[in-house]
Amino acid sequence: MASTPVPVRGRGSKRPFRAPTKALLYILPAAVVYGFFAVWSGLTTVYLSFFEWDGLQTPGFVGLANYLNVFSDPKLYGSIVHALVLIIFFSMIPVMLGLILTALLMGRVRKGMTFFRTVFFLPQVLPLVAVGITWRWMFAENGLVNQFLNGIGLGAITRAWLGDHSLALIALGIIGTWCMTGLCMVLFLSGAQKIDPALYEAATIDGAGAVRRFFSITIPGLRGEVTVATVITTIAALASFDLVYVTTDGGPANQTTVPGLLVYRLAFNQNDIGNASAIAVVLTILVIIIVSLIRALFKEET
Amino acid sequence: MKQRNRTTTSIVAGSATALLLAGCFSGNVSDEAADIQVSRDLTDEDITLTLTYIDEPPTEALIEGFEEEHPNISIDTTQIPFTDYIKSIQRSMDSSSAPDIVQFNPGAMRSLIPAGLVRDLTPYQEEYGWDDTFPPSMLEAFRTSEDAKQFNTGNLYATPGALSVLGVFYNKDLLDEAGISSPPETIDAFEEALSDLDAHDIQPFIVGGLEIGGFQLWNALADSLSDVEEYKDWVYGADDASIETEGALQAATYIESWVEEGYISQGASSVSDSDALAAFSDGEAAFFVTGNWNAHALSQSLGDSVGFFPMPGESPDSPHVASGSSVAFSISASSDHPNEAAAFLDYLATPEAAQIQVDVGFMPVDTEADIDADGLTTEVVDGFALINEGAGIVPFADYATPGMFDELVSGVQGIITETATPEDFLDQLQSEWDSYHG
Repeated sequence: MASTPVPVRGRGSKRPFRAPTKALLYILPAAVVYGFFAVWSGLTTVYLSFFEWDGLQTPGFVGLANYLNVFSDPKLYGSIVHALVLIIFFSMIPVMLGLILTALLMGRVRKGMTFFRTVFFLPQVLPLVAVGITWRWMFAENGLVNQFLNGIGLGAITRAWLGDHSLALIALGIIGTWCMTGLCMVLFLSGAQKIDPALYEAATIDGAGAVRRFFSITIPGLRGEVTVATVITTIAALASFDLVYVTTDGGPANQTTVPGLLVYRLAFNQNDIGNASAIAVVLTILVIIIVSLIRALFKEET
Repeated sequence: MKQRNRTTTSIVAGSATALLLAGCFSGNVSDEAADIQVSRDLTDEDITLTLTYIDEPPTEALIEGFEEEHPNISIDTTQIPFTDYIKSIQRSMDSSSAPDIVQFNPGAMRSLIPAGLVRDLTPYQEEYGWDDTFPPSMLEAFRTSEDAKQFNTGNLYATPGALSVLGVFYNKDLLDEAGISSPPETIDAFEEALSDLDAHDIQPFIVGGLEIGGFQLWNALADSLSDVEEYKDWVYGADDASIETEGALQAATYIESWVEEGYISQGASSVSDSDALAAFSDGEAAFFVTGNWNAHALSQSLGDSVGFFPMPGESPDSPHVASGSSVAFSISASSDHPNEAAAFLDYLATPEAAQIQVDVGFMPVDTEADIDADGLTTEVVDGFALINEGAGIVPFADYATPGMFDELVSGVQGIITETATPEDFLDQLQSEWDSYHG
């Protein structure tokens, strides 16, 4: 490299004293919007969760009664249980499938790679409402899923999957898996590109097969991406609303209700702002706890 | 990620709405309009009334008809989608620029009437003699106590402008195929028809159990099999009323046994209303319990092969009764032109308005008016007239409490999936009722 002197900037210049004010000024517009729409309305939700309020008349302070409802009404805590079950389908299975797809697609340049990547990522690009309605038709009594099962001789188990009392939640979960797998795969594929190819070469020379290389090099190398993917998909499971709203609307017989759906029903159908706020607060706390657990679990031991 | 963002946004938006509403804690009633004398004499000056509504049709056509009769009165409208209506109307009625006339919505009225923001129409009822011009059963749902918890008692707060009615649509070709020559006149004959259809491998029912279809089937049966007064007491919130009655139980038991027999699919809980409409339009089932709002679509798709009859009762002489709802209008307490607004409410019961109501796909308020209609519309209007000669129109069961809708939908899903008994279902409805009215 040539030895052209590089002008030193920043340190030693006259500007650093003005920087903090200026920086704050840059942050201000976004901070105001965020503060008003996220922080302030979040705090208001917490405040309203201690009241009984129909949205118009004078609210009455009820202390923790709304929170007691959340934990004593089987409909309300049932929805939290459903959301926890959905974590398996929205988060755990997609992360595993995403890793498998990554192993299959990474590294080697094959014909049609872009095609596969696009196909797997497509669910992320489609609006969830369209996804939900399409899957509702596919799961219907004469839908594609049952036609397929009939075709391979499994006619005996066909049913309206989303209308089945015990299987509706799982059917809903499968839609979630379909949506989330592509996201995980794309995250992992981009992460895998920064793993040093020399590691693979060395391992191959040492006699490690493809499976061994995957477990010993790829997975440890993707720790950060796996954490991010798990956090994002877990939050999607806990805070799910639109997919449930268009596919089952909580049915049949409240077997697939999720907290987000109940917040909507209570606040906008039943004018019960207090209980709706209490569920929203419980949901937020639950998300924070579970995300902290995931981060602790995947923390790099240094 | 997408999903998370969107859900968070909706929660945040919800909180933001709550925040905005927080500014209107106090119901400040305007007394300015109170000194206007109740009268049928209207102003000669050019005035403009404002009207906020959800349902189009029929609103715009009715306004047009009214303006023709009163050239100096014009009505400016604002339409708001159903999902936003309650919160929007609650805010605008409490503001200084409240609309003169608003479409009645029980959810919104439960807060607006106690807050004193809706005008008591009793003086106009007497002035115009609305007890004679409106069929009595049509006004019941708009009388309420001051806390707006119990209906069919107290003062009048709205009049209906067009009606909907629940009944049975049937596919004439499929009934012919099964050798059924005329629509059943009793519930027993109805059940026989179902079994005949089943024997001919024709699906007797299509039920949209995902949304309102399931509970409307139960509602139609419960209307016809229950004691009307008992049902009304319950749906209007009279003291100590109960839905755990013989008729309501019988209705739920019919659904249970029809699912067992395969007349109703066990997967009906995942069929949306539009899916059910599409299936019936394609001739996939013989009976479809729904309202006149689907009549236009059905006569388009099935032509002369579709017919309509009110759900039959125990005997051919049982007085007909069916659930229905109205597009009704109220006057705001702060309106500067209550007399002219009341004239619009009065217009809704005229024969001229009746023709408009039928033309835009609704049932007429004036059931005795000579209506010019054809095909399926005539059958529905005739069925509606039968009901009005019988025990009249009663509200849908979700009128009972703000949370009843969700209980009805999920409760009928329990019966359809054979995971709840008819007794469980009624018990579920009653505990919701007790927690609101008890």
